[in-house]
This record gives sequence, C-alpha cells and structure tokens, in this order.
Amino acid sequence: MDFSLLSEALSSKSYEKVSEICDELMLQAAAQGINFQDEWPHAIHLLGHLYINDVNSARFLWKSIPLLIKENQPEIVAVWKIGQRLWTRDYAGVHEAVRGFNWSSDVLNFVVAFSEKYTKKMFDLLLSAYSTISVADTALFLGMSEEDATNYALQYGWTVDPASKMLTVKKLPVVREQKLEPSKLQRLTEYVFHLEH
Amino acid sequence: MEAEEDGPTSMVDAMSANGLNSGEESRLKPIISSEQMDVEAYASLYSGRTKIMRLIFIADRCGNQTMQLEALRMAYDEIKKGENTQLCREVVQKIGGRLGPAYEMDNDWANIVDRRAELRKEKLDNELNGYRTNLIKESIRMGHNDFGDFYYAHGALGDAFKNYIRTRDYCTTAKHIIQMCLNVILVSIEMGQFVHVANYVNKADQNPDALDPTTVAKLKCAAGLTHLEGKKYKLAARKFLETGIELGNNYSEVIAPQDVATYGGLCALACFDRTELKNKVIDNVNFRNFLELVPEVRELIHDFYSSRYASCLEYLENLKANLLLDIHLYDHVETLYSQIRHKAIIQYTHPFISVDLHTMASAFKTDVIGLEKELEALITDNQIQARIDSHNKILYARHADQRNATFQRVLQTGVEFDRDVRSMLLRASLVKHEYSLRAARKI
Amino acid sequence: MDSVDALIAQIQGLSSSPEDINALHTHLNQSEELLLSNVNRLANSLEQLDPSKHSLGYLYLLEASTSGPISREQSGEIVRCIARFIMTCEAEQIRLAPEKFLSVCKRLKDQVMLLQVPIQGIAPLRGAVHKLQSSPEHLTPLHPDFLLLCIMAKCYKAGRSVLSDDIIEVDQPKDFFLYCYYGGMIHVGLKNFRKALEYLHNVVTAPMTSLNAIAIEAYKKYILVSLIYSGQVPAFPKYTSSVAQRNLKCYSQPYIDLVSSYATGKISELETCFEANMEKYKSDNNVGLVKQVLSSLSKRNIQRLTQTYLTLSLQDIANLVQLGNSKQAEMHVLEMIQDGEIFATINQKDGMVSFHEDPEQYKSCEMIERIDSSIQRVMALTKTLHAIDERISCDPAYLAKMGRERPRFDLDDFDSVPQKFL
Repeated sequence: MDFSLLSEALSSKSYEKVSEICDELMLQAAAQGINFQDEWPHAIHLLGHLYINDVNSARFLWKSIPLLIKENQPEIVAVWKIGQRLWTRDYAGVHEAVRGFNWSSDVLNFVVAFSEKYTKKMFDLLLSAYSTISVADTALFLGMSEEDATNYALQYGWTVDPASKMLTVKKLPVVREQKLEPSKLQRLTEYVFHLEH
Repeated sequence: MEAEEDGPTSMVDAMSANGLNSGEESRLKPIISSEQMDVEAYASLYSGRTKIMRLIFIADRCGNQTMQLEALRMAYDEIKKGENTQLCREVVQKIGGRLGPAYEMDNDWANIVDRRAELRKEKLDNELNGYRTNLIKESIRMGHNDFGDFYYAHGALGDAFKNYIRTRDYCTTAKHIIQMCLNVILVSIEMGQFVHVANYVNKADQNPDALDPTTVAKLKCAAGLTHLEGKKYKLAARKFLETGIELGNNYSEVIAPQDVATYGGLCALACFDRTELKNKVIDNVNFRNFLELVPEVRELIHDFYSSRYASCLEYLENLKANLLLDIHLYDHVETLYSQIRHKAIIQYTHPFISVDLHTMASAFKTDVIGLEKELEALITDNQIQARIDSHNKILYARHADQRNATFQRVLQTGVEFDRDVRSMLLRASLVKHEYSLRAARKI
Repeated sequence: MDSVDALIAQIQGLSSSPEDINALHTHLNQSEELLLSNVNRLANSLEQLDPSKHSLGYLYLLEASTSGPISREQSGEIVRCIARFIMTCEAEQIRLAPEKFLSVCKRLKDQVMLLQVPIQGIAPLRGAVHKLQSSPEHLTPLHPDFLLLCIMAKCYKAGRSVLSDDIIEVDQPKDFFLYCYYGGMIHVGLKNFRKALEYLHNVVTAPMTSLNAIAIEAYKKYILVSLIYSGQVPAFPKYTSSVAQRNLKCYSQPYIDLVSSYATGKISELETCFEANMEKYKSDNNVGLVKQVLSSLSKRNIQRLTQTYLTLSLQDIANLVQLGNSKQAEMHVLEMIQDGEIFATINQKDGMVSFHEDPEQYKSCEMIERIDSSIQRVMALTKTLHAIDERISCDPAYLAKMGRERPRFDLDDFDSVPQKFL
C-alpha cells in the first residue's frame, strides 16, 4: 500500500484532507484484494473523519473495523471514544476523551490539532448560542479550568460577574462581503436575455 | 363584577317593555338570561311536542333537583293534555314518585286515550280506504294528513313522517305543498333528521307562488337549525339573521323568537368579520327586533364590536349554563364560545405593535399563562402574526420582511423546479421505453 | 498451433485500430463455443494478454473462463483478476460487448458478496459504471449493484460519486427502482434527508402497472424520511400511478399510524405508536430511522416555539416539549443552534432563550453566488427540457401513437410540468 499521500498530508498538517485520502486508499487497497485491515491506520482514519466533523462516517468506519483489531489496538478505541462523545453531543466529554489516553507519536499531533480546532469551535458555538453563561459551563465546553476559561473569554471582550460567576458574551459584528463584481452584472444581463427569449 | 350583576337584569325589564307584541310582554319575558333559568317562563314560549321535549331535556341536564322536578312536573302536565301515553310513562319513570301521587302513572287515563286512539285509527283507516276507492284526490290527501297528525300526536314520528310524505302525490295547490313541507319539516326536526329538513325547506322555497312572510320566516328558521346542526355556523347565522319578524310566536312548536336572536347572534359573532358584523347584525333593523328580546345577547354583540371584551366574555360566561340546557344549541356552545373568544383575541391584538400580556389577560379574564397558551395556538395557526416575549410578558406584532421572504421563496422554487423537472424527465424516460413493470419480471 | 492460441494471436494482432477491433469482435462472437470448450485453459492464456490493450479479447476470455461454477479457493483470485481488468480496460473496446462486460461485473459483485467483502468491489464497480456509461445521464445496470456494495460495506460516502450525476435516461425499470431505492438509503446513511426524499419519491411515483416490493419498502422509508425532514408526508402527486395510490398505504399501516401520532405533536403518543409497532419496524429494518423520527419531533416542537415566542424560559420549553428538565431543554436548543436549525441565544443567568429571525439578509456575495448557481442550474435544466421535448416531438413512434390530427406536441401535455415553471 502506498501511504505517501497520507504521510504528506499529515506532515504538512493538511488534516482536512486525511479522511478523503484514507477513504480512497482503502477502496483501492480493498479492490486489489490486499488484506489491508491489519496494517490499516484506523486511528488516523477515524480522526480524519472527526477532524472535519463527519462523525457519521467515523461511526460507519468504526462499525467496519474487525473486532480483533479493536481489541489489540486500544488507540483506535480511544479515538472512537472521542467520536462517541461527539455523536452524543457530550461537549465536555470530548475533552476528557482527548486527555484520557496516552497517544502514540503518530497520532499525537493530529489529536492536538483536532483538540485545538474543537476548542475553537466550541468557543464559536458559545459565542453564537449564549448571551450569558456560567463560568463553570464555559470551562466544561472549552475543556479548561475555570480560571483558564475565564481568561480565554476575557480575551475576546467578554465580561465576568465574579459574584454570580456568570460571563456575559460579547457578540462580534458579522462582517460579510457585500461588494458586487462586474462579472455579476454581466451575468444578470444574460439572465434577462434568457428570460426574454 | 358585582356591580354588573344588577345591570343586565334591570336592563332586561326595561327592554322587554319595548319588545315586539308588547301586548304579550308577560309571555315574552326574556328567558335567556344570566339568572338561573325560569323554567316556567321558558316553557311558555313553546307549544306542542317541542315544549315537552325541551322540558325533559332540561330535566335530564340541569343537575339541580328542584329545577329538574319542576321541569318534569310541567312536562307531565303538558303530556296529559295530549295523547302520547308512551311519553307519559317515560316521564313518570323519571319523576319516580318524587312529586307525590298526582304525578304517578294515570293508567285510567292512558287506557282511555289508547282505546280512543284505537277507534280513531280504525275510523281514519276506513275513511282513507273509502277515499282511495273513490279516487278523490283531495280527500286522500286529507286522509293521509289526518293520519300524520294522528301519529304525530301519539309520538309515532316515523309513521307520521311517512304519512305526511304520502300526501305529496295528492297535493293540488301550492298551499298544499307548503303545508306538506312544513309538516315534514316539523316531524323531521323532532326526529333530528336534518337532511330531510334541508330537502323540504328547498322544496318549499321552490314554490312558484309568493309565500306569506310567516312561512318564509319559518323556513328560514328551519334552514338555520339545519346548518347549526351541521356545524355550518356561518350559514346558520345568515339564515337566522334573515328571519323576518313576522315569525312572532307562530312557530312555537319549533322555535321561539328569542332563540333566533341567540342562535343568530352567537353564530354571527363566531363567524363574521367586523364589517359583516356591523352590516348584517348591528345595522340589521329586522334582526334588532329579535335582539331586543334577549338584551344580553344584544349587549354582548355590541360589547364585542366596541372591543369591550371583558364585558362581552362575562355576558357569555353568565349565559352559558342556560344555553347548555337548550335542546338545539347545547352541543355547539363550546365550539361557538371558543371561536368567539379566538376572534376576540385576534381583534384585540390586531391594532397593536406590542401588547402587555398582563393587561390583556385581565381583559380576557384569564391569567398570563393561560393567555400565552391561547396566543400560542393562534400564532401557530397563523391567525395572529405576532410573537410572545415570555420573559417580559409582552406580545409583539411581527411584520414579515417582504424582501427576505421573496428571496427565500425564490430559492425554494428553484430547488423545487430542479427536483421536479429531474424527476419528471426520469418518469418520461421510463414511459418512453415503455418499460412499465408489466414487462419487468417479478422482483 | 491450436485454435485457442490462434485466437490469442488474433487478439494480440487486432487490438489497435477501430477497424481491426470490429473485425476481432465478429471473430470473437464466432469463437464462443471454442472458448467454452476450453474454459480450463483460459486462465493461463489470459496471462498472455494485456487487459489495457487487448480489452475486448480479454473480456471474452475472462467472461468464458469465469462462466463455470467458482470454488471458494478460486474465488479470491478471480475477484482480483476481474477487478484489475475493470480498472485497466479501455472503455471504447468493452462498450462493444456490454453484455459480456455486465456479466463479468455481476460476477465480481456476486463473488465479493459471497466472500463478504463488499468493500472489495466498490472501486472496481465505480470504474465499471463510468466506463460503461455512454453519458453521465445514463443509468446502467451496474448502478444498483455499485450502490448495494456501498451500502453493504457502509461506505456511504463512496456512493456519492455516482449519485451526484443526474440520471435522466433509463433502460430497465428494475434498475431504476433499485437505483433510486439504494440511492435513497445511501442518502439516509449520510443523513442527507432532502436528497434521500428525492430518490424515494422517484420510486414511489414511478409509472407502474403492478405494485412491486421495492416500491412498498421505498414508501415506508419515504414516510419516515418525510417526517424527519418536514414533519409531514405530502399527498401523492397526481402523476403517481393509480396502483401506487390505491395500494401503498395498505401495506404500510404501522407507518401511517406513525404519521398520525406525529401530527399530534405529542412525544408520548409517538412513543406509544413506536412500541406498538416495534416488531414491524424491526422486521422492515427501519428501527434506526423510526428512532430518528422520534427525536425529530422534539426538534420540530422547539422550532414551532420559535415561530411563536421571542423569549421563553428553558423551564417552559422543557414543559412544552416534554423534556425532563431545563438543562435538557438547554442542550436541545444548543444542539439546534449548532446545527443551524434555529436562531436563538441562551441566557443562562435568567434561564431564558431568545429566539431570532433568520439573520440572512440576502445581501452577501456568498448568497448571490448561491442564487446565481441556482439560476444557472435552472437554465441548464430548461435547456435539457426543451431539447428532450424536441426530440420526443420528432420521434416517429411518438408521432404514430399520438396520431396525425395533433399538429405538434405541446409541452404542456407531455407530463405534469407545473405551469408556474414554464
């Protein structure tokens, strides 16, 4: 099996490509009748799905991994644990699952990248979904200590009420590109032409 | 509330003095009022079978022993004037000896009546046979008609119906036809067969000769009852509203003019929009005469129109117990009431940008939680365009953004077009190849 | 030199120019008996051929050599051999003998199913579909096989590469029914319910003169997916065959029951229905979907609240939607915000939720891009529609059927193109 594409993606930290590369590699390997399961980087493959938030595919992949392999490679189980928490929307549990395993060097960087991305995503979620939220919940969502979480939030202009231990969210103004390119006008002309003929 | 209690009653007395047929004002004392029903006054509005049936209905449902016995006593007295011994037995059973020996089953009376009925029936039979042999059309009609009357009086409604129908083939004048129709309608109403009522109202309406106003009014009432029964409240309202004042007490074997006011008024409130309410009810000179008979209904309509909902709802609430004792209306009270309430809520919110729910709740005699539920249902049903700020208990009107809605619809239409055209092309392809499943083997 | 060797030589010699290949095709057709009588030798002979150059000849030999019963030991090698051939063969050549190609591909599919390694057939069949197709609009008999393997191997994403083509040409109704049914299942697997609905809808509304099992199963799934996607099941459109309209519901009572209990909006009622019909759903393999129907009801109820309320306490939400407590309500709301199903902000301090209108202003470049691509697509479709209309109106068979009194085929009569679109 030729894993060069995969290693390239991993070393260049293009993690978002991993899932697609692995999917295709797996189909090719299978087509050649290679018994790929034993040496397949299941953990990386699973993480690849999780990284692009495709928990669904991760779930199906997990189901297709032979039992023996799962038993022999605790790291795969550990990755799936993250997936499971994502699947059940156990927001805080994801961080626990990330911290709960001593990742091998191959996987470690990827897990760290996933974790960073996830934390960022959680913060964005809190930003959009809450107007006020307790420090304790913020810490759970971000997978940090209450102190770290508070500081993290303060960085983004949130304010904290020490008495009630409540954070007030500061919404960011939404900036959207609203400029129109000339080509669009050209298009518009074409549409009108189309409608008239 | 206490203060208002007195209002209506005093008004009632004043109004009835101005009511129609003022010579009979004692008879026309308003019955539908917020006070406990005066059964005697109520019964005096009706005659014939309906009077008895209404009394029995009240007795069955009032849940108040005094009233029940009073109603049964009157029913008994009324029955004894007639010839329906079977009905007498039923009422006696209901009384169950609670009214003393005077209201036991009078078997002597029953025997006499039944024997007399036997003879009468024989006589009618002979007469009718005689007419039949001689082929005298008018007499045959009369014969059947007499039979109809006879059976009706004895409570054999089905036979009465048949005989009235049989007169149809022997009717020679428009007047006969009208008589036949009215008879059939009467029996059908008593039987609860409103399909027949509708048919024969139509038949009577098709009569080429101009009908006298009283008959027209009777037919309107019959049609109104039919629509009411069929839950077509708007149509019912129209019919009652069109009922001419000539009705008077001429249809007491079916309906009292007070009923016309109540049925018509409530149905109209439940179904009409503001303009209709104004034009067809409030400004309706003819109907005003009816409303005068039931001032509470008149007042609540005016309250509704002038957005005095609390007062309107209070009138309704007070009327409710008595309306539930009405043989025709009872089944529709809840529906009509909830429709009226909904309309009131919708009208109330209509002119506002924001409404304080506390104020509104007190206007509708409910609490904020209950009101929220009602509003929620109406908003979900798209009857009110607003949203509830449950935190601050304020209702805000919602103004749809036309521009955004248009964009949304455009995109939606595009998606649908895409989907529909592709699926159509696929079907076309299947048809084109004429491979319907007939050709394909079983799967 | 015996005749098989001679044939090999001919294949090697006649595989370059189109004329040569045509001649070879004729010759191969005449040699079928020869091939069948030498089945055992063919495996060795194949080694003398290059599947990418001698595709047609290789195909004939491969087809013949695998036509007999295949033992378990041979199976693995044969699968590999067919897979290699499909991946490397030249499309032009194999399209001359589509039946042979189909037969080889079917054999591959049967073998991987037998060996319980469906994933092994996915890449080859994907290649086979593309090689056999005359255009991406053309449905081949391999489409359903490919999709089936994707489903069996749980490689739903792999199915997308084939499903993304817009099929509008169908030869065999059975292929079509299966293709749409499996396509629907794949999109269900991907949780792409809008697309799934489209595929299942096509099965349910397809022209048919007698009811088939695929349509019945598709209808059951169609009901479930409709509930998940929109909370209700649309009535049959008028072009649905009368067979389907009359009979489908009788076969799907447990599902119809689900629709009516869903309509009450009460979770408890829906759960009762679910439990009452559990066995049926189980035997139909639809339990997973039914469970998704169940959880969609809470969401739909919350969505309805957003239409009604500007603010609402979490506790009220929990009560109105029948959730255990306000924390659960918060998690539900959060989940829906995350998935873009509602627009709201949670105020933990007061235990309140504020619901917002869709913030989309239809002003951004991104949105314009979306509208633009939608217009482009609709225009392209319109063009296709007109082209097909023209083709049909010139089709002699069609004209004969319609009779000569009709001067020209009118698009409106063709099918139910909704008037608003034309």
